[in-house]
Amino acid sequence: MWIALAAIPVLFASLFLLQVRIDARTRTEAQAQQELMLRSPAAIDKMSLGYNSLLADVYWTRAVQYYGSRVATPHATFGLLWPLLDITTTLDPKLLPAYHFGAIFLSQTGVGGAGRPDLAVKLVKRGIAANPKRWGLYADLGFLYYWHFQDYKDAAAAYLAGSKIAHGPSWMSIMAARMDQKGGSIETSRMIWTQIYDSNKNPTIRKMALDTLKGLKAEQDEAGIDDLVTQYRQRFGRPPSSTAELRDTGLLRGIPVDPDRYPYVLEPDGKAALDPHSPVKIPRVPKTPPPLPKN
Amino acid sequence: MSAMPGVVAINTFREAVRDRVLYNLVFFALLMIGAAILVGQISIGIERLVIVNLGLSAISIFGLVMAIFIGVGLVYKEIERRTLYSLLAKPLRRWEFLVGKYAGLVLTLVINTAFMTVALAAALFYVGRPFVRSDGSILIAIYFILLSLALVTAVALFFSCFSSPMLSTLFTLGIYVTGVFANDIRNFGALTNNPMLKTLTSAIYYLVPNFHNFNSIAAAAHGESIPFALVWQNTLYALMYIVLLLLASSAIFSQRNLK
Repeated sequence: MWIALAAIPVLFASLFLLQVRIDARTRTEAQAQQELMLRSPAAIDKMSLGYNSLLADVYWTRAVQYYGSRVATPHATFGLLWPLLDITTTLDPKLLPAYHFGAIFLSQTGVGGAGRPDLAVKLVKRGIAANPKRWGLYADLGFLYYWHFQDYKDAAAAYLAGSKIAHGPSWMSIMAARMDQKGGSIETSRMIWTQIYDSNKNPTIRKMALDTLKGLKAEQDEAGIDDLVTQYRQRFGRPPSSTAELRDTGLLRGIPVDPDRYPYVLEPDGKAALDPHSPVKIPRVPKTPPPLPKN
Repeated sequence: MSAMPGVVAINTFREAVRDRVLYNLVFFALLMIGAAILVGQISIGIERLVIVNLGLSAISIFGLVMAIFIGVGLVYKEIERRTLYSLLAKPLRRWEFLVGKYAGLVLTLVINTAFMTVALAAALFYVGRPFVRSDGSILIAIYFILLSLALVTAVALFFSCFSSPMLSTLFTLGIYVTGVFANDIRNFGALTNNPMLKTLTSAIYYLVPNFHNFNSIAAAAHGESIPFALVWQNTLYALMYIVLLLLASSAIFSQRNLK
């Protein structure tokens, strides 16, 4: 009896140590080769035995975890993101966070996402088909067309369609008109990202929106400084070597700083740029937009 | 009708309580607390949805396990222990015994579900969500789950009248799964060009209890309203099927040689 009581904790401790060793050997490989045993959304839907909405929550949580484990990791791939979102939205076509956040995860380029805005559009269109009265999905679609495809016509159409839905916010019709008039302007981009920032509670998305807003503000500031540099060049026949020279000649009231309080610098050709240490990043939209997905 | 079925029902409920069947409530409460605390940390935007989905699914699964595993032993246990003979020696007819047993297990399921509903409401309150009018659909979904559990109990009781618990469990599970897939079975038949297969799948569709009817978990989780017509139609469907199964059970059990 006493021997058994003493042996149990010893065996548990040994099992713990053994598991740690097994994990050390297999974890990296397992993470790299994370797989989906079943990829057919329809088959999973059938096998859920009616508990499809609970299973959708499980798959959505898995998608969030999958994205979270890869985001900000250089050279990480997001190969399972679309299958996970596909399964989630097939199991529960009304799971709005999966469309809204899933589109962001899919569309963001660089280390922020899968860089597949085409799949994001497909996802949001599926969401609209299943939830035609949810204006937020039209806003998501308008954003995708605007930001990732620079397709202002379709973006305006999406915002306009959303504005016509009962209880849809008035800013959507304003956005639609703005897309028609000033599609590619920084002001329009700031308006959209401000809306994304204000309408989201999720800290990751809010940070993404805030970072983009800072970048857009910097882009606008740089354009303003470039104008002043042009004026300086016309007056003195050469570009200024620093923003301090612009201030000294009265073209600027002080040393301009970016949203994170780092002073702007001037490149040798006089073009305004961010301080190399500044965490602010100017959003770069692709010069050649990716092809639009087919319906 | 005598008061005997009521006496049998109360005793069946007491027996379930004595067998610590209601201990599953502790597990359910822990599940709800765990989900309420954890989900917000590991997912995005579905805190309330998960609580409702998990709560309703757990109510359904726990109830299903109870209905099948207790239901299939309702008659068999009494025969095995030979307590049935002393019961039938009293002024108790065989069908009254069956109805009493059935009502006792349904009462257990109702009380179990009621406690789980309170735990679900507490979990929703914990995640900081005020109760709104659309939460009525959660109560309707729970009512539908109860109807399906009552129907599963009737199926289990039916098989337990002439079969062993092991086989009755398999049969009941088979009927349940077929009932869940009833719509797919009919659609499969409609896709084929074989008229015989089409007739067969249609026959299965109308013959097995359609458990798909009672699934409104997703609608409740999304706060969608459930039409009142569906409430009374599902109630009537379940009642008619239960009566049918109890009649069949009584007919078989009354003919059974218990010597």
